[in-house]
Amino acid sequence: MFKAIKEFIEKSWLLIVSSFVFGLLLAMTNSAWSGKIEQNKAGKLSGLMSMLVTNADKFEAAVPNVRVEVNKGKFAATDIYTAMSNGQIVGFCFKAEGTGFADKIELVIAADANFEKIIGFNVLTSSETPGFGDKIAHSFYNDQYKGTPTEKLHLVKSGDDKIIDNEIVAISGATVSSTAVVNILNNYLQPIKEQLKEKGLIK
Amino acid sequence: MANTMTAKQAITGGLWTELPVLRLVLGMCPTLAVTASVKPALTMGLSVLFVLFCSNIVVSLMRNLLKPHLRILMFTLTIATFVTIADLFLKAFMPQMSEVLGPYVGLIIVNCIIIARAEACASKNGIFISAIDAISMGIGFTIVLCILASIREVLSAGTIFGVHIMWKSFVPWTAMSLPVGAFITLGLMLGCANLLTGKKS
Repeated sequence: MFKAIKEFIEKSWLLIVSSFVFGLLLAMTNSAWSGKIEQNKAGKLSGLMSMLVTNADKFEAAVPNVRVEVNKGKFAATDIYTAMSNGQIVGFCFKAEGTGFADKIELVIAADANFEKIIGFNVLTSSETPGFGDKIAHSFYNDQYKGTPTEKLHLVKSGDDKIIDNEIVAISGATVSSTAVVNILNNYLQPIKEQLKEKGLIK
Repeated sequence: MANTMTAKQAITGGLWTELPVLRLVLGMCPTLAVTASVKPALTMGLSVLFVLFCSNIVVSLMRNLLKPHLRILMFTLTIATFVTIADLFLKAFMPQMSEVLGPYVGLIIVNCIIIARAEACASKNGIFISAIDAISMGIGFTIVLCILASIREVLSAGTIFGVHIMWKSFVPWTAMSLPVGAFITLGLMLGCANLLTGKKS
């Protein structure tokens, strides 16, 4: 018994010791940089939000943890932020997610102070196909959402993308990505609106 | 020991005779995945250089203490530690780049170049040789990644480091930024390397 323990320690002491040393090294690095990493994440979100609501000077978390059904029976939690300008609410922002062509798409969506019109959306994370699906982040497709009413949106194959209504013209060659964005908005707009009404933030 | 190297061998090994990507065909995952443009390729190359340097030195320091059947475990543990540090560094100081590279930073752990150098060089040679070997291997890897990425970025977007260099009417070849572009470019580069060395198939 004693011999076995001795043999075990003889063979594995280096592994055990270095696990502790490396673990300590990682803990030190993490504690030194974790603040900065958190700050970067928050900075990216508020950066995207202020790109959408350009006249806002401050973003405040208003309703935390809103549960939204993103897929049949699957729920995701999101936070609603209010965009403030001189103490007045000028808009609402929230993070939304859904399944894209390659992987999950995460968007930041902004709507106006009465939650009647969408101000626009920005892509937080996506890995859509370069040259096709990644056009959701810019180009005519993204512009179609600037001013769209917060009602149920429909995707159409062809139409005039200049007319701002709830018909969204798809990107040719990227139907799945185009549909994904429309679905994300359809999933989120209604529950968010209801939550805001419940909290008395909109009429 | 039979496998000891000289400093000269270590330098020429990493930069040409054992050039990781083109001669040993090791480390294919980042080579194919992050070379759609030059910036991520350069960051990936430098991250690998950092991890390779640190792991080679640590492995070289403990080479006389290693038990043969536990050595792979020790290598992986060492590599994983430094990869995590590199990942945290990118997240803290280069958040955008960290997002572009995504899971591929973590995947440096299973990059064969690093474990191969730990096994073939650092566990048999002193610190000095191991450090030189790591630097030359890392630089060789970075250069190949950057060449591959420049070709792909120029053809797929007409830019290098985000700076437009192609003529105005140039039509971007979208395929070059997709995996197919990586395979084709890498294949042609491997062919060129074989031509230069006169290697018979």
